[in-house]
Amino acid sequence: MSSSRTETGVVDVVMPQLGVSVVEGTVVEWRKAVGDRVEADEIVVEVSTDKIDTEIPAPAAGVVSELLVGAGETVAVGMPLARIEAGDALTDDGVPAEGQPPASGGDDAGAEATGNGAGRRLSPVVQRIAADHAIDLSEVEGTGRDGRIRKQDVLAHVETAQAPLHTESPFRPESVPKPESAPVGGTLSRMRRTIGEHMKRSLETAATCTTWIEVDMSRVERERAALGLTALPLVARATIDALREHPQLNAWLEDERHTVHDDVHLGIAVSLDEDGLIVPVVRDAHDLSPEGLGRRIRDLARRARAGELTADEVRGATFTLTNPGQYGALMATPVISQPQVAILDIEAIIKRPVVVAGPDGEDAIAIRPMCVLGLSWDHRALDGVLAARFLSAVRRRLEGGPS
Amino acid sequence: MSTLTYLQAISDGLRTEMRDDDRVFVMGQDVGAFGGAFKVTDGFLDEFGADRVMDTPLAESGIVGTAVGAAVAGLRPVCEMQFADFVACGFDQLVNVAGKMHYRQGLSVNITVRLPSGGGFSGGPFHSQNPEAWFMHAPGLKVVAPSTPEDAKGLLTTAIRDPNPVVFCEHKNLYRRVKGEVPAGEHATPFTARVAREGDDLVVIAYGAMVHTALEATEDLDGARVMVLDLRSLVPLDEEAILAAVHRCSKVVVVDEANQTCAAGAQVAALIAQRAFEDLDGPVVRVATPDVPIPFSPPLEQAVLPDVERVREACRELLAY
Amino acid sequence: MSVTTSVPVDHRRDEPPEHLTRADRVGLLRHMLLMRAVEERAMTLYRQGKVPGSFYDGHGQEAVSVGPAWAMAAADRLCVLHRDLGAHLVRGVQPATILAQYMGRAAGVTRGRDGNVHFGDHRTGCVGMVSMLPDMMLVATGLAMAFKLRGQQRCALTWFGDGSTSRGDFHEALNWAGVQRLPVVFVLENNQWAYSTPTRLQFAVDPVERAAVYGFPGVVVDGNDVEAMFEAMRIARRRAVAGEGPTLIEAMTMRMHGHAAHDDQRYVPADQLAAWRERDPIDRQAARVAALGVDVDTLRAEVTAQVDEAAREALASPMPDPADATDGVFATEEVAMGDGAAPWSGWSR
Repeated sequence: MSSSRTETGVVDVVMPQLGVSVVEGTVVEWRKAVGDRVEADEIVVEVSTDKIDTEIPAPAAGVVSELLVGAGETVAVGMPLARIEAGDALTDDGVPAEGQPPASGGDDAGAEATGNGAGRRLSPVVQRIAADHAIDLSEVEGTGRDGRIRKQDVLAHVETAQAPLHTESPFRPESVPKPESAPVGGTLSRMRRTIGEHMKRSLETAATCTTWIEVDMSRVERERAALGLTALPLVARATIDALREHPQLNAWLEDERHTVHDDVHLGIAVSLDEDGLIVPVVRDAHDLSPEGLGRRIRDLARRARAGELTADEVRGATFTLTNPGQYGALMATPVISQPQVAILDIEAIIKRPVVVAGPDGEDAIAIRPMCVLGLSWDHRALDGVLAARFLSAVRRRLEGGPS
Repeated sequence: MSTLTYLQAISDGLRTEMRDDDRVFVMGQDVGAFGGAFKVTDGFLDEFGADRVMDTPLAESGIVGTAVGAAVAGLRPVCEMQFADFVACGFDQLVNVAGKMHYRQGLSVNITVRLPSGGGFSGGPFHSQNPEAWFMHAPGLKVVAPSTPEDAKGLLTTAIRDPNPVVFCEHKNLYRRVKGEVPAGEHATPFTARVAREGDDLVVIAYGAMVHTALEATEDLDGARVMVLDLRSLVPLDEEAILAAVHRCSKVVVVDEANQTCAAGAQVAALIAQRAFEDLDGPVVRVATPDVPIPFSPPLEQAVLPDVERVREACRELLAY
Repeated sequence: MSVTTSVPVDHRRDEPPEHLTRADRVGLLRHMLLMRAVEERAMTLYRQGKVPGSFYDGHGQEAVSVGPAWAMAAADRLCVLHRDLGAHLVRGVQPATILAQYMGRAAGVTRGRDGNVHFGDHRTGCVGMVSMLPDMMLVATGLAMAFKLRGQQRCALTWFGDGSTSRGDFHEALNWAGVQRLPVVFVLENNQWAYSTPTRLQFAVDPVERAAVYGFPGVVVDGNDVEAMFEAMRIARRRAVAGEGPTLIEAMTMRMHGHAAHDDQRYVPADQLAAWRERDPIDRQAARVAALGVDVDTLRAEVTAQVDEAAREALASPMPDPADATDGVFATEEVAMGDGAAPWSGWSR
């Protein structure tokens, strides 16, 4: 989004990246109003992040044509804050300045304006993927011609910024003014208390053990990109297939009563950020393709975050997936959702050197996207061998078995 | 399996069907003692006799029209046009009599019309055409165009067995240039598309000789993974395969050796525009022969026929988009 | 090979052919009456707005189709032209089916996909014509080619008009059939007019003369004499199945109505029409049959009643379902032609 000061046409003033980990900033005060003339590098707006307050200079000279964000509003890094009708060549009264050639139709000024605007020419597939994943395309950097956003750009964005469920919601809540510097305190929310009770009861009830396995996600990554999905639905599909192979894990244990299910109703843990966690259920998940699972998971997550789930949609899971890999964690010991007998935890996909078979069968080191899957299981219902077999079955499917 | 040229594979398919089914016979100009202008039926006269390897008068309308009669009488004629271009003289019989027969009166017309098609060897305006789109536009005719020896045999077998009139476009420039493994004995290929090479950055959709051009043009394209989809059949058009390829790759180059207006590639592009719009990440790009008769002199002919460079350039442009 | 051409037309020949029984001769009349009655009814329906498109008939040419069709065996095959409804009737297509065909009904032979006599019921051994005349000459040649390849004693028959003799397919078919000595009979239905074009603008030499140059006989027959047409066809067919090759029969006749219902044919001289009206093929056969002691009026009444009933049936039948409009462009399996359930004598087994 860099702009040279000789630019003409519309130039955006964007929320800059003010630090490596900073993802958003808040407009503190506008120094210019619509219609004001600005010089290049003249301060337009003051913004604040949790790290720094700073003044943003105009990327080009011209006239402020639009203020897109009000004072006090918080927007993501890269979002346009204001638009400047750029053009050094024009004076306020529209007369060409001394020494400047008059702008004429059909010269490269027009072409450049088009080029600058080309970043917002969105192809159908980019719009579809963005809509499916609720992505704000202004956050996506284009690598195509003239900065056009290409399919691979938006897919990469899906992967890094938005992808695994359970991460930040596409829904951006109004930022709540934080108490100045008072210590945070008070009673737990009702949801936190409920979660706490469930977790504690599970640990008291089940003989919880955790088994980990490592999976080479190369194939999943390829397929995911081709289908325009996150990894989650593909892992979900492999899990469902493995559950059909080992139905003892697709079961409930209520006191002495052990019920093994044929159908897979898959619970998906959805983070509600600080509000807590909810586990909507993809009913009859065994009937769904990866694409279908992806759609259902997205829909359930969206409605979970909007508080629109019905009671039936959070009941009756036969197995649960949790997906906190987004935060780069390597391993966890998830807590089984009672009365189920197991829960699968998907950790971060990280490129690591691994030992593989070379072309002639000799050992070689390759860089592969690797992921740890952790299965917490109830030793009352099954033994470690079965847990390991189940995880192997999942891995086999993810690495190259029939999908 | 044995290694055959494209030409030998066509002969092999034809011979196998003639051995298996005495309803199958070939008819055309110079197909008997001479073995056909391109030697597809070389040796057939000795094996099958003059009744089943029929030298006809120089009459394309007559070849197609009598084939229709023989077919409705229960035979399975395989007609050879000496050059695809000459089918213009049999157009009426093919389009009006054969193509409309089943729709109008429920009578099947099992004929196969072989069209030695395509240019690239100074054949000039009357020995170089790719007239497949003429027949795609005529209801009731199937149109296929193999690119490999294996498919040449397999598609011809399926064409001979198909109860409908099938226009079989065999590319002259592949006859002796392309070799490949071909299953021995009976080998039938469905009228569907084939992924000639996997990829997901861009798909080149082609058929016939242009499949080879597409493969060569995209073999090493700055590391891009380019899919090549070989249509094999133009009618029926494997729409699902096309849509799946577009869904996967989102960028499409469609290549025809035929003149560009209303060519097979135009139909493919229209299909994509209508049914794969939301999968597109760039304009659908077409590479085809401009709307001129195919000129004779090599520099002129090379200037109009799509070649590896043109296809490569189109792919590069679109990949960068 | 002896080549006979230009047999003179003899309108006065009244000797009964020795191969026709009394029942055959009545049958010939009945089918000509049926053709005329069906076409007259169809014309009425056309004027009532029940027949879409245009309407073509063969009024005055009934003998040209009924006579040759009568001479064909069940396993023979016919490519029938649009003024030859009598051939379809002889092969067993029902009048109600034909009237439904004219009206574009689902019960028509083509189920509404084509109109008029643009049909062939393949179950009766007939292939429907196309509008491009004379394309069917080649199809008939191909049928004959198949018979010869298979060593079968069967014959193909096709009709074509005087206008058709100008097109290339006429030449390609006659040449091909001559070269391969195929069992095919070509009936040139010379009705003097191709739409508004008289024969003098169509050809410089009577087309029957051309048969010789293709290496087979051509004969001229009174096309308004059903028994003469039968006899010419019987001989041609015998030659064909004996492996002696094709025959061209020129049937001299007259188109008594316009090219189609919209054509009042004012370009046709009145005296030409009057002269041919005197030679009406039905009147001539009716006189012969009456002389055999048959009550022709009763026959006419039976035919009228049959067509009345057929019209009621056809009018009560449904139009095709628009949802079917795109069905059946392609065959899903091979469809074989049948021999039909024809009512004719079958003398030529």
